[in-house]
Amino acid sequence: MDLFLQRLFDALTNGSTYALIAVAMVLIFKATTLINFAQGEQAMLGAFIVLQLWKWGIPMWGAVVIGMIFSGILAACLERTFIRKFDPADHLPLVIITLGLFLVINAVAAIIWRFDPLSFPQLFPSGKAVTIGNARLSWYSIFAFGSCLLVLFILQTLLTKTKIGLAFRAVSSNLESSRLCGIKIGQTLQFGWALAAAAGTLGASIYAANPVLQIEPTIMLRALIFSITAAALGGLDSLWGALLGGLTIGFVQSVVVQYIPFIPNEMTLAAAVVVLLIVLTFRPSGFLGTKTVEMV
Amino acid sequence: MTNTLLEVDELTATYGQIEVLHGIKFHVQPNEIVVILGANGAGKTTTLRAISGMVGTTGSIAFNGDSIIDLEPDYIVRKGIAHVPQGRGTFPELTVEENLRVGAFIRSDNEIKADLDSCYETYPVLYERRMQSAGSLSGGEQQMLAVSRALMSKPELLLLDEPSLGLAPQIVEGLFERFKKMNQELGTTMLIVEQNAQIALAMADRGYVLESGEIAVEGEANLLVNDDAIRKAYLGG
Amino acid sequence: MAPKITLTKDTPQYRNLRALMWISIVLFFLLVAFAYVDVGSIAIGSNKYNLSLIRLNKAIAYSVAILGLQVVVGYTGQIALGQSFFFGMGAYISAWLVADHSWPFLLTLLIVIPGCFLIGMILGLPALRIRGLYLALLTLGLAALFPTIVKLDSLYEYTGGAGGKLTTNKVTGSQYKFAPPSWLPLDEIAQALQNIPLVGGYFGDGPLSNREESRMWKFILFSLVAALCFWLISNLIKSKPGRAMRAVRDNETSAAVSGVNLAMTKTISFGIASALGGIGGMIYVAEVGIASPDDFSSLVAIYLIVGLVVGGVGTLSGAVIGGLVYALIPDWASSTQSISFVPQRWLQGPTGSLILGLLLIILTLFMPGGISTAAKKVKNRFVTIQMQNKSGIV
Repeated sequence: MDLFLQRLFDALTNGSTYALIAVAMVLIFKATTLINFAQGEQAMLGAFIVLQLWKWGIPMWGAVVIGMIFSGILAACLERTFIRKFDPADHLPLVIITLGLFLVINAVAAIIWRFDPLSFPQLFPSGKAVTIGNARLSWYSIFAFGSCLLVLFILQTLLTKTKIGLAFRAVSSNLESSRLCGIKIGQTLQFGWALAAAAGTLGASIYAANPVLQIEPTIMLRALIFSITAAALGGLDSLWGALLGGLTIGFVQSVVVQYIPFIPNEMTLAAAVVVLLIVLTFRPSGFLGTKTVEMV
Repeated sequence: MTNTLLEVDELTATYGQIEVLHGIKFHVQPNEIVVILGANGAGKTTTLRAISGMVGTTGSIAFNGDSIIDLEPDYIVRKGIAHVPQGRGTFPELTVEENLRVGAFIRSDNEIKADLDSCYETYPVLYERRMQSAGSLSGGEQQMLAVSRALMSKPELLLLDEPSLGLAPQIVEGLFERFKKMNQELGTTMLIVEQNAQIALAMADRGYVLESGEIAVEGEANLLVNDDAIRKAYLGG
Repeated sequence: MAPKITLTKDTPQYRNLRALMWISIVLFFLLVAFAYVDVGSIAIGSNKYNLSLIRLNKAIAYSVAILGLQVVVGYTGQIALGQSFFFGMGAYISAWLVADHSWPFLLTLLIVIPGCFLIGMILGLPALRIRGLYLALLTLGLAALFPTIVKLDSLYEYTGGAGGKLTTNKVTGSQYKFAPPSWLPLDEIAQALQNIPLVGGYFGDGPLSNREESRMWKFILFSLVAALCFWLISNLIKSKPGRAMRAVRDNETSAAVSGVNLAMTKTISFGIASALGGIGGMIYVAEVGIASPDDFSSLVAIYLIVGLVVGGVGTLSGAVIGGLVYALIPDWASSTQSISFVPQRWLQGPTGSLILGLLLIILTLFMPGGISTAAKKVKNRFVTIQMQNKSGIV
């Protein structure tokens, strides 16, 4: 029982990160039915910007906020320059462009900051908060998960109670009618990309703030596959599904690590891909997605 | 001609290599209800889409004297033209009230709430279902929603694409009755594209018949109703 | 207007022209081979760019793999991005057969081709239900799994785990020898080329050493294998199955309505693409001498796609260009130690992947047909060649 609880607690930590990146992917998917392969790298770049700002003396959380805003602006520019030009129904060029962005952003971060691991500011208080028997839940995990919930609530409010949020949901729902109602599609999409990038940056920052981890340009590479699987599992167009999916993948990870006697690191990746395969083949709408998530 | 609300001339539209409209000409006066009849594929929907900016065309389209032919849809809405597309075009995942609010997107004044209320008065069923998702409404209710949404932008010209499509006759009757009322009370000019010639001509002022991308017949609605050719083709003898 | 030349097929004039074209290509080939059999390099500024048969052999390997991508992505329109999986499969299978069972490299193709074809068909089954970017996603995920599979403890004796599988023969302890047949007058050709006035210096000095002969022979062999693959695929495209593939790419519904068996066409196209990936892998491991897991990661899959796009999706010459791009650009990028106005700091790090990523983006935006289409357009400015049958039909 203790072991199981510990699994659960471990799942919270990673699961929250995957959930935040997954949320970013869901935002973009909702608006454009596109999967942004560069999302993880954008998030990583954002986290590095946060790190740099902090090194220049800006207080931790201020750096995070500025980093989020900056990555949002960058994402809006990326959307305008590269994504806007393509027909959303033609997947191939868009897939290729996001792959290109993946390579470029990764390379740029590596060129600027090199590959040496660096210490990321500790965003959350350290130490164990709760101890149940032998299972220990750290403050970090609680705050990571809490931040995740907070982000989701903020997004929910943003999307349901503001005009631009309404525009965003209208665009995801019916592109043509949105145009007929006077919604400026381009601006709305940029908004979506900016929000997604900000969520991603927060996710990567929280991930890097883990006391046992250090930040370097490859941190989000593995997280990408997990986040995409989490998003698919939750239903690519559901924000809460992304949270659920993220936690599930986190849980699968901590379970797989213990109970399958292969090289743990590698097998969690395999597990994620297998889950992805099953979801995409048999239940593309995931847990909470709408059935209209199209496969064709 | 200075009074004409909408003036269309030499309108030509192509989809890929196929020319769908061959230089048609028609106009709409303020406060009128004008109907465009025609069979499937005649080009009726394309005509409306050309006006609302959803499809590229050559020729001239003038609204209140200004050319709108190359403008983007979001700009044309702001000029005062609202388009209710074929198939209603509601936002299925949004609630009824949210649909209406999207309709008012271009506005930032204080009267949006008042207009919402008057819409609910006209269609009480929308008020009942205002918190339900639009996708759960029946066909007729969705049509009411779609029209109300278009009206929320306070347009001068309302474009309606086959409002009777897929609806039961009584519902269609009720719908068109209210259109007539709207036109009389609010003065909203309407350009309606329809296959159901009977009911359309009954409430319209003037009509055009579109055949294979060209205007075959035009005239006063009550005269068209009596026209032999129209009777045979569209009114069943 | 550019001058137009009309060529009528099956006339002696046409056949002569074609023969001339092929002969010049082969000649050019041989010249390159002899020039770079030794370590050749081009110096620009203070940077030295390596161009040797080692690089070219790798380019051949990549080209064949990218040819596979052309079949499945370019001609059948399926966004299957996991080519590194089969590249790796071919490499490991060959390495194992050569090292543990003393097979000659070329013979391993007998196992690699059907093996990869079969696995390719099986892994292609999800494609029957999934399309577009979901397929892209899934295939990239599968590609990401390859290093994991190969590092499994249970497969250690076959794959050598994380350290990789050497192609050194277990029994003899030596590398497989690529020895050219004695009747091939490589030395004589080298001498002759060296005696050409003015440019003789490019072709090295003295007779070819054993190592150089072996490298030359590898190059010739691999080129022949690749040429065979290209020839087969070019015939495939013109044939009925090839037309079926293109029909599927252009419009699946129309294709189905015209009687194309969608499932069959897609599955076979996956099989062929995977087989080509495997062949590429064999060439790669024959050149490099070791199959290690990280040489076949999903990053490699992405780089192969870069090659596909830069070369030109849906063209044969694009595969060749793509292979060269992949083999040369990252290497040359890291060889660039100094450019006059760029601070050195910016030249360190993964500049290769930066350039490849930029190429991917810029080409998709501005030259969607890749380099080969752009080159065709340039050629058309100077002369348009129109082919027609004897009866005058184009």
